[in-house]
Amino acid sequence: MKERLFTSGRNMLDIDPVLHAWHWEIPAYLFLGGLAAGLVFFASFYYLRGKEDQMSTAVKIAPFIAPIAIVVGLIFLLLDLKHKLYFWQLYTTIRLDSPMSWGAWTLGVIMPLSVIWPLLYLDDLKKYFWNKNIVIYEIIDWLERLINDFDIVKSIMSWLKENQKAIAWANIILSVILGVYTGILLSAFNARPLWNTAILGPLFLTSGISTAAATIMWMASDHYERIRFSRIDLWLIAVELFLITHMFMGLTAGTQASAEAAELFMGGPYTAIFWIGVVAMGLLLPATLEIMELIGYKVPIAIPAFLIIVGGALFRFVMVDAGQLSKYFFQ
Amino acid sequence: MSYTQQKYMNPYVAGVLLGLVITASFVITGQGTGASGAFKDIIAAAVVKFTPEFAESSAFFSRYVGAEHSPAKAWLVFEILGVIVGAILSGALANRITLKVEHSPKITSKTRIIMAIAGGSLFGLGSQLGRGCTSGAGLSGMAVMSASGFIAIGAIFGIGYAFAWVFKKYWV
Repeated sequence: MKERLFTSGRNMLDIDPVLHAWHWEIPAYLFLGGLAAGLVFFASFYYLRGKEDQMSTAVKIAPFIAPIAIVVGLIFLLLDLKHKLYFWQLYTTIRLDSPMSWGAWTLGVIMPLSVIWPLLYLDDLKKYFWNKNIVIYEIIDWLERLINDFDIVKSIMSWLKENQKAIAWANIILSVILGVYTGILLSAFNARPLWNTAILGPLFLTSGISTAAATIMWMASDHYERIRFSRIDLWLIAVELFLITHMFMGLTAGTQASAEAAELFMGGPYTAIFWIGVVAMGLLLPATLEIMELIGYKVPIAIPAFLIIVGGALFRFVMVDAGQLSKYFFQ
Repeated sequence: MSYTQQKYMNPYVAGVLLGLVITASFVITGQGTGASGAFKDIIAAAVVKFTPEFAESSAFFSRYVGAEHSPAKAWLVFEILGVIVGAILSGALANRITLKVEHSPKITSKTRIIMAIAGGSLFGLGSQLGRGCTSGAGLSGMAVMSASGFIAIGAIFGIGYAFAWVFKKYWV
């Protein structure tokens, strides 16, 4: 008997033995989703702690990037879909056991909330972009006038302002779900051993929050806030390194398929790009530069911030790419 | 910690260290150092990615087709990343990192950037015609006592001296 010939369904060139389904759109979307989740998280967190003025970049300024990141990310996601016009069908059902369903609904709620948040701080955004970017300044000014032109919009905005605490609470929960979802989306894919590890959720969440902290640090002009986020980022990098170590410990101690998935990064084709591009240049070097800054050297904050952001993006590209290469079949 | 800018390293000490770097490179990786090769790898990979048919049909670019030629696996690409990392770290240690264009007071930043791009492009072209740049052909070549290495260094510095008078107003 040659059961395998008719039970395995292996004549699918895009799936077997190596997946060729996900290209640049998916890691780019996961990166932007993680970044947005982090920005929304910090804004809501510091707002709820009453540090709206102390952490003004995190609460008032940086969150305007979140809706843009989500929209661009969703456009990338749409580009990846084979049947683009069917995306709405995700909203015809709620499936608690499907990460994609969680993600779709979370994005459906966090998207409008992330648009509302910066609208509550238009004055501060105007002040920030004054002298920095006249085009963005004009757009914000136009938006402000538009809101003031309609009494109904104005009253909705003031109602939202009164209920900002509730929005912040919703945001904080949704942003954590969004951040975790960007990782769980991969780890629920049990046919690919590299992704099929529970650590991917917290790892992607940490990485997303870390890229957001780097963005805020880069944008902040206040020394106190900058130092604060530099410290937060150092902690996040430490957590990321811890999680990466444990991911590889888990994979190498697992089944042969998991061990071979880890092998992709330990001598395999992704070794150099992962350890040098992601770990050394995206985590260790910015951490070193941030420590140097904290002990008194003059390091322009843009350099570690840029390295962390690029490292975070590269991490997702490598994980999505390598994951598709990891497999269970051995022939 | 004072914020005073520190002086640059003694050039003779730096030269000896550079020699040790090349020796270490040969011992550890089995290859010399290089600079233009890294950019060549990246450009060739971009050509293969965006115009695959052209790359296949070109005698030069067809050598870069295939996953094993990815810049993510090229030693020189990682070496150049190391150069960037080293530059950032040494600049940070000397409190010297800022975003600025260094130029002679006689010219503007714009002129400096245009001259740098023009000079860099000419050097890139020349390095490909001469099969290597100062690091790849010159230093690594000389390190293995290759005649072409000595010729390359002689030509690069000789022509540099010869034309210095013409271009010096853009620098000093």
